[in-house]
Amino acid sequence: MIHVERLTKYFGDYPAVRDVSFDVARGRIVGFLGPNGAGKSTTMRILAGYITATSGRATIDGKDVFWEPIEARRRIGYLPENCPLYPEMRVEEYLRFRAGLKGLSRAEQRKRIDYVVSRCWLGDVRRQLVGTLSKGYRQRVGLADALLANPPVLILDEPTAGLDPAQIRETRKLIKELGDTHTMLLSTHILHEVEMTCDSVILIHQGRVATQGSLDDVRKENEGKSLEDVFVSVTGAVD
Amino acid sequence: MRETFSLIRREFTAYFLSPIAYVVLLFFLAITGYLFFLTVNGLTQSGPRGIEFPFEILLGSPYFWVVFVCVAPALTMRLFAEERATGTLEVLMTSPIRDWQVVLAKFIACFFFYLLLWLPTLAYLPVLLDLHVTWDLSAWSASAIVCVAGLAAIVVGLFGLIFGMNGMLGFFLMLAGAVAAGLGGWAQHTRDGAHLIQVNAGIYAWPVVTSYIGVILAGAMFLSLGLFVSSLVRSQLVAFLIALLVSLLFVVAGFWQPDLDTGGLPYRILYFVSVPLHFSHDFTRGVLDSRHIVLYVSATFLFLFLTVRSLESRRWK
Repeated sequence: MIHVERLTKYFGDYPAVRDVSFDVARGRIVGFLGPNGAGKSTTMRILAGYITATSGRATIDGKDVFWEPIEARRRIGYLPENCPLYPEMRVEEYLRFRAGLKGLSRAEQRKRIDYVVSRCWLGDVRRQLVGTLSKGYRQRVGLADALLANPPVLILDEPTAGLDPAQIRETRKLIKELGDTHTMLLSTHILHEVEMTCDSVILIHQGRVATQGSLDDVRKENEGKSLEDVFVSVTGAVD
Repeated sequence: MRETFSLIRREFTAYFLSPIAYVVLLFFLAITGYLFFLTVNGLTQSGPRGIEFPFEILLGSPYFWVVFVCVAPALTMRLFAEERATGTLEVLMTSPIRDWQVVLAKFIACFFFYLLLWLPTLAYLPVLLDLHVTWDLSAWSASAIVCVAGLAAIVVGLFGLIFGMNGMLGFFLMLAGAVAAGLGGWAQHTRDGAHLIQVNAGIYAWPVVTSYIGVILAGAMFLSLGLFVSSLVRSQLVAFLIALLVSLLFVVAGFWQPDLDTGGLPYRILYFVSVPLHFSHDFTRGVLDSRHIVLYVSATFLFLFLTVRSLESRRWK
């Protein structure tokens, strides 16, 4: 579903992503791991079409993100880091605007908005201004936006950052449920979360893929160490 | 199409959710109102102190240009800079919408708001033009009915769009209404003996028409300039100040009036870009000089094109 081949991105002289290749099969939930500044967000931004790669290629459901950007973007629900929203709009207003932007017809808009509102538990804040929402609710609005056009692929950049434990649990449950119908690439720092929700992991360090495979494979490869130990040994942090 | 409409709608309504729009409206109304007052004074005076053309003072006064030159940057400063600062640009640019659609939608939204700014000045026209309206309610003919029905369709379409009617339906209703009103009105005007409504202007109206044409086109140029500057920077304040500075180049020349030979090349260059001079020499006097129109329209397209490029370049950085 997501196919990435020798992706490289330079910011000036600095290589943020170097020669990254991976595949995500249909219906899988893949955890995208790595320390801060490893190139997770950059890779996701390239996939979502916000920036272009210096070299290499990426396709979403067979559509190249560079050559067929509109078709590729139609197949992606993208939740950027920190979930930026327009604070002056109401939740429903915002979702209607986003649905229009994604080319949904009036009837579809109504149906999909009702669906995502109930799916992301936004029923009681439908008429509230986005600017007055708590962090958890904002994250849900972003997630609802990503789900609006019912895209086959979801790319979520740190969907649980800054949430309280109860909200993290809720979001995790939602992600798990969405995994039945969507292919998902989600980045996070919380290793525990990956172990609970993801089928496989891609560990990226200094712009390169350090290790990838299903959770069991990664553990086996590293002689049964926990994911945390693998992460620490790969990134070379000191205990 | 739907994507662009959706974005235009958001950008346009966003003006009414921020205080900037109301501040701009207030200042604009205050200055045009004051200049209208001066115009009325001038109209009632005879001799050299009186005025010749209805918009002579309104569009010729330095006060007006001081406000005008701030209006466009104030309307455009947030369009891209704010999205960049808050990060919503990322959400917008990863939607299935092309760069030029984003630029066009934002431009149309601020242009509509700019037209809205000028709407209240229509209220001055009955006085400025010495309009007399006579009604003849016995003159109902087929063409009159078509015309009135067309106008009604426009109003219905407009309200429908505001209150969430199907975009296409509303659009076509307004389009059909405009065509019907135009054809019906034209038939009524040329064929029928008696007219349902007759408007007579005591003062020659053409200079007012050309003034509005000039104001609309010049506004488009300043707005696209502001849009371009906004796409370059991250801070709204910086966007405002830079756009203001560049706009001043087009305005100051009209008031600086250096001691130049009016036949020489330097003056002609100065005159070519000096928007207030275009108004005081041509537009307010009922002259449509193609040089000015070419400048405004081509500059608008140039700045819109540059905005698209500047958005695109961000992907490469």
